[in-house]
Amino acid sequence: MPSVAESPVVLELTNVACAYDAGRPAIQGISFAARRGDVIGLLGPSGCGKTTTLRAIAGFEPVAEGEISINGTPVAAVNRHVPPERRQVGMVFQDYALFPHLTVRENVGFGVRRGPAVDRRRRIDEMLEMTGLTDLARRYPHALSGGQQQRVALARALAPAPVLLLLDEPFSNLDPDMTYRMRGDLLRLLNTTRTTAVLVTHDHEEALGMADTVAVLRHGCLEQCAAPETVYHLPASPFVAECVGQADFIPGAIRDAVVHTPLGNFFVPPDYPGGPEVVVMIRPDDVRIDDAGPWAGTIHSRQFQGADMLYGILLESGDLVHGSAPSTQLLPLDARVRLRIDAAHTVVFDRHAERSRCVCKRDAARGRAPEGIRD
Amino acid sequence: MALVLMLPLGYVVVAAATTDLAVWRRLWTTRIPELLLNTLSLSAGVAVVDLILGVSLAWIVTRYRFPGSGIWDWLLMLPLAIPSYVLASAYTHILHRDGTAAHLWRLVAGPDASVFSPFSFAGAVLVLALNTFPFVYLLARSAFQRFNVAFEETARATGAGRLAVFFRVSLPVIRPSLMAGLFLATLYVASDFGAVSLLRFQTFTHAVYQQMTGRFDNAAASCLSLVLVGCAGVFVFGERRFRRQSRFYQTTGRYRPPVPRPCGPAAALLLNGGLLLVFMAAFGLPGLLLIRWTVDAVAAGEVSPGFVGHMWNSLSLSGLTATAAVVCGMPLAYAATRRRTWAGTLCAQGAYTGYVLPGPVAALAVLVVVSHLMPALHGTMLILLLACLVHLLPVALQGMESALQQVTPNLEEAARSLGARPVQSFRRVTLPLVRGGFASAWILVFVQCMKELPASLLLRPAGFDTLAVRIWLEASEELYHLAAPPALLIVVITIPVVLLWSGALAGPGRRDTRADADAADADADGADADAAGATGAPSRAPTGRRFRRSP
Repeated sequence: MPSVAESPVVLELTNVACAYDAGRPAIQGISFAARRGDVIGLLGPSGCGKTTTLRAIAGFEPVAEGEISINGTPVAAVNRHVPPERRQVGMVFQDYALFPHLTVRENVGFGVRRGPAVDRRRRIDEMLEMTGLTDLARRYPHALSGGQQQRVALARALAPAPVLLLLDEPFSNLDPDMTYRMRGDLLRLLNTTRTTAVLVTHDHEEALGMADTVAVLRHGCLEQCAAPETVYHLPASPFVAECVGQADFIPGAIRDAVVHTPLGNFFVPPDYPGGPEVVVMIRPDDVRIDDAGPWAGTIHSRQFQGADMLYGILLESGDLVHGSAPSTQLLPLDARVRLRIDAAHTVVFDRHAERSRCVCKRDAARGRAPEGIRD
Repeated sequence: MALVLMLPLGYVVVAAATTDLAVWRRLWTTRIPELLLNTLSLSAGVAVVDLILGVSLAWIVTRYRFPGSGIWDWLLMLPLAIPSYVLASAYTHILHRDGTAAHLWRLVAGPDASVFSPFSFAGAVLVLALNTFPFVYLLARSAFQRFNVAFEETARATGAGRLAVFFRVSLPVIRPSLMAGLFLATLYVASDFGAVSLLRFQTFTHAVYQQMTGRFDNAAASCLSLVLVGCAGVFVFGERRFRRQSRFYQTTGRYRPPVPRPCGPAAALLLNGGLLLVFMAAFGLPGLLLIRWTVDAVAAGEVSPGFVGHMWNSLSLSGLTATAAVVCGMPLAYAATRRRTWAGTLCAQGAYTGYVLPGPVAALAVLVVVSHLMPALHGTMLILLLACLVHLLPVALQGMESALQQVTPNLEEAARSLGARPVQSFRRVTLPLVRGGFASAWILVFVQCMKELPASLLLRPAGFDTLAVRIWLEASEELYHLAAPPALLIVVITIPVVLLWSGALAGPGRRDTRADADAADADADGADADAAGATGAPSRAPTGRRFRRSP
């Protein structure tokens, strides 16, 4: 990971809001920053405002509140709007938006307009080479496969050497195999060019796997912004917990500074602020199916996932938890099993708090760990 | 800009509203009921015939394969190339008491039998239906081609017979396309002037013309116009509403298109015979008549000496109108497709008022405006140009808007993010992509203007006869050999344009697949939203609405 604390901040959003209709903001209070070479993943369900955020950075949506700076220069604020063409921001659209009347080479060269012809040609050749498109340079977009089109879109966005690259669900139109390969290619390309990137996605694997910082959005607000590991293990809200992977919430109650649940007792994390009625987050990898385990349940559902098997286990209390086990051993449906909880840490949420609004920087999030200790 | 275009309509409304109540009362008791009945019954009659002809022809062409089935595909479009007044004059000849048809009929039905007179309701329905059925045919054909056979198969599987499937599944599914076709046909009929005037059938357009020329009574003409425009407005509004709702009927995502069934020789002969009959009635027979009359006229040296001059008048008027329509339409179409502000929408919608202004009404409107504001323009070419522009701008706008809609805003945004200023992005990306669409919009207006009759008839400067005007004048005197050469010329010029237009309307395959991909995208989004609902984020903020191409 090339991101070092000393790298200069390339992109900074401070309390940004955008609204299509006045009074109904599409996003609000969005703040985050990216250092040179960082990949920020904007994650959330459809309509959560992630694409709007991206378009506000690119300059296609005016900002209703707050400020966006690129390389320390404010480019968008209430009374300030630097047009997209002067922001030096590259963008890869979801549908790639390749110019259908131009060849691959002309597409890639579209934004390379400065400098002597020789330099421009060299730059285009370099980009074609780097994305493996040299042989396709004379083709038109309609004669390319999805993956090739995506590489053209990438090369075209990177050719003018933008300070920031924006990617709007760049893999959503590819089949899964291709997606996997392209992710690796993209990461390599971003690393070699030391490009800062903002990646919009609704696929948590993509966000967790590619980004240095994951920002989870919900209803236009930033729910959590932290390193992928923090977001996964110490989510700021049940919403974030579910957004980044399978999670179950077992209800419990706090008595004498201990959480009592059907799966045993947990210590209340020292900085837990809420009331006595809580839920404890359990991830499938925290649940072990073990004949010597203290808790009983029946297999309720079963999903083969390749290396693992994901079991839905109905507890005697009527709660459902999911547990993963190696797929080499098969448990039949309705089989009675015993389990134990084997978590390095557990996370506790107030059952009645609608959601905890938490806007924090990545480093701050690391220190503020609501660590729970198993009984 | 759009306000300028709406001005004529406004003036007509004002003129009609300020007319003496006595005039209204006189019109209401004498003319309006009859005209309303005639116009409505003519439209309805034509719609019924169009529906039967259009659907059955489209069904035959798309669902059966027989020798020659490929040719009919486009031959059946050609009737659109014949101006209504030319078809009308051909039929006044064919159905004449001493004409060929009457002779043939007497051989069959005895010496006292007579064919129906062309100067009647039946005659008007016949001529206009033969002239307009391709609208319904064309849209029904493309709907049947894009039809998802799975619907029919499902119906068959539940035990419905062939006929039941056709009426209970196939027809209802393509209802939106049929409505669109009927809409075009009906608007054409309601605003037609050439045919009804030659067939002496009293409709609103004809009456407006008579009030203006026979009685020089622009006030009464305005009143009649207002009633007609009101009807047309209600009709257009209804169609738009229907179209918005009808989106639910369209098949989305992947589908299996129908495979035409091969026919035996007897069936092939029968189908070819039927198609030939319709084609000959709507195009072949009048076409042959035109050629024969033209040959006669040339042989007898009777071609009008002013022919070249009339042609030049037509060409220059059409060229100017088409150019003006494209130039004026460009910003309007851009505003309508890109800037979703109320001003942009108003501009575009305003320009579409020309739709509900039939030729004589457009002429009247422009005449009223000009005589109030700039009387000096009276009797100049400019006033005629203005009327043609108001009347035909919607044609250009429609073509240009659909061309612009094919270009996703993403392309322009991509250009912007790559450092192109708005003007550069328009020049380097948008313009190259819409050039073809704009050119075909120009050609469409040009051809429509070549055929344009009532405005030229009413507003032409002294001595400025166009081809269309000459045809009408000669045909009303039944001097067919004088009318034939310019008519033939117009038909010949129009044929390639009709074929081009029908191709654009039916939509080539590649664009369809693109639209389907979009539909699939939208579906995927819907699934996303469902998933979001399950995880406790049910609301789907309208962030996506501006990024997706409008369907």
